[in-house]
Amino acid sequence: MSKKKDPRVTRIEDLAGPKSPGELEEMKMPYEEYCRQAFDPGNEAKKPESLKGIRWLSCTMYIFTPHSAANLAELGAEVIKIEIPRMGDAMRHTSPFNEAYLYPLHESRPMTGTGLGFTNANINELYLTMDYHIPEMVDVFYGLVKMSDGLTELYRPGTLDKWKMSYKYLQEINPRFIYVWGGGFGYGPKVFGGSYDILGQAHAGLASITGMHEYMGGHATKCTNWVIDWASGTIITYGVLAAIHWRRKTGLGTMLEVSQVQTPTRFMGYSVPLYGRFGIVRQRWGNWDTQLCAHGIILCGKSDYPDADNPQEKFDARYVMVSAFNDPDFQELCSVIGRKDLWDNYPRHKQRLEAEAQIEVYDALEQWAADKTRTEVSDALNNAGILAYNVKNHREVYESEHLRQRGTIRWLDDPLFGDLLTHCTYSTGLMSKSPRRLKWQWRPVGADNVKIYRDMLGIPVSQVEDWYEKAWI
Amino acid sequence: MCDVIWCKKEVDGSPCETVNYLDPFCFWNWEGTINCAECRTVYYIHMIQGHMYKGPEERPGEEPDTSPLYADKPLEGYRNYMFATEGRTRPFECMPRSFLLGEADMVKFSIRGKPVRGWRPQPESAGIAGSFPYHWDIQNLSPDVWEEYQEKIRKGEVSDW
Repeated sequence: MSKKKDPRVTRIEDLAGPKSPGELEEMKMPYEEYCRQAFDPGNEAKKPESLKGIRWLSCTMYIFTPHSAANLAELGAEVIKIEIPRMGDAMRHTSPFNEAYLYPLHESRPMTGTGLGFTNANINELYLTMDYHIPEMVDVFYGLVKMSDGLTELYRPGTLDKWKMSYKYLQEINPRFIYVWGGGFGYGPKVFGGSYDILGQAHAGLASITGMHEYMGGHATKCTNWVIDWASGTIITYGVLAAIHWRRKTGLGTMLEVSQVQTPTRFMGYSVPLYGRFGIVRQRWGNWDTQLCAHGIILCGKSDYPDADNPQEKFDARYVMVSAFNDPDFQELCSVIGRKDLWDNYPRHKQRLEAEAQIEVYDALEQWAADKTRTEVSDALNNAGILAYNVKNHREVYESEHLRQRGTIRWLDDPLFGDLLTHCTYSTGLMSKSPRRLKWQWRPVGADNVKIYRDMLGIPVSQVEDWYEKAWI
Repeated sequence: MCDVIWCKKEVDGSPCETVNYLDPFCFWNWEGTINCAECRTVYYIHMIQGHMYKGPEERPGEEPDTSPLYADKPLEGYRNYMFATEGRTRPFECMPRSFLLGEADMVKFSIRGKPVRGWRPQPESAGIAGSFPYHWDIQNLSPDVWEEYQEKIRKGEVSDW
């Protein structure tokens, strides 16, 4: 007699799901598929935002400090960018080349636009105008402080203190307030010194170790883009996130003071400790490497696009990075380029790391590549199992399948400015539960005046219009 | 501000006491004459790297080359001359300097053929106090560009990448 199933009993074998550890393993989806589903690039808007509920004031200009607030806005904070009436952030008037503008800047300026230089530094923010240093507007500014979690500003040290808006004053209004100053030198010598990205690269000594040695025709070099602006802004954001966590524990706000010319010291590796230990001043080594050889960028003889009009493609599509520093790889590299004598001379990494050896190795590599395109070079080396990769130009970055699949490079249908190609928000790694997102790049100067003055602060529209007429907002 | 000219010129028996602000955008490396925003006395200055190398020296009878960005009267509370006050502070046009003015290369479509708000002048669309809506209603605001876009779609000139 077969045993009938008792309907009141739930047996493990009747349940959906795996019945054994072996089955469990079988039912798990492949890891790559799991990652694709977990991160799901392109559908970020369906997920919650990690910083939702945080409200931040951004009294900033250019790239460095605005980017610190944009980081918060990408993560879901409500960031209010406060700008100079009718002019806005000076960065709006900066554009990389003739007429890369989006219109309009402001209703009173139909012939002026916001330059693409402003891109990515003020994402997802609300745009308010306020001349907050005129005494009539100070109370309105305090009103915003009372309902916000923090502020980022970039004025010369003490300027906001003079206007009674420094942390000393604001913490009396809102003890939970987090106050960030970001600027040039901060307190100490040169307290009134302003800041630029290039000043940071120079002051912290970063530019002194970038570029080829003068012996090889190089010079101390700045990175073409303002990397220290972007990197220092992100460093501020780390501080803000830590301050928010600290406030959860203590209930108290804090003040951050970030000198932009100080932050590049973080990117200098062992340079300063090296000096401290041996008194050795580190040298530039450009496209080669002081710790690994061969591990550098070489120049090939032929361009991948000899018929292109753009000089960046016609002449500069000739660089390849090559990495073959461990013994078997280096031996193979020497074999591929037909210079087994190099392996005989430098069989140990320590030997080929010497400056004279590096000069010989890279010279041999470039001689071998003199009659080849960079793709021929990277293919030949990849086929031999050696890591080599073309140094891409930005058209190739746009066309990169890797960056497209992960959503790093993507098109944004900006609600106000139309079709924009973007690369910043999604460049910072993926988050499965509460990803960053880009809702809009920017809005015109004062675009959210009514939303903030009337809806948030409860100021009558007649008053708002009066201030607008006087150019106070 | 890289420096100020604190005007002490006697006007009607009392010193002018106006602080004229010299902004670094204009005056960081600069030589010429500048007027006081209050009494319009003309001063000669020569600034190098934000430092007052020469001056200010009075130059009666000369026409000023430019005006201060902003000026105030610190001894009289909050009285001031905002920027672009005609005949007193520097006109504020916010146009690129002459050598940067070239022929505008304005665009209506991105490289994949979708509309981008890159041409001027744009039709008026702001509300109270410069407020803007959250949506670019291109179909109603710029019907000609919208039509051009529809034509591009029909011709298959709009792509995903």
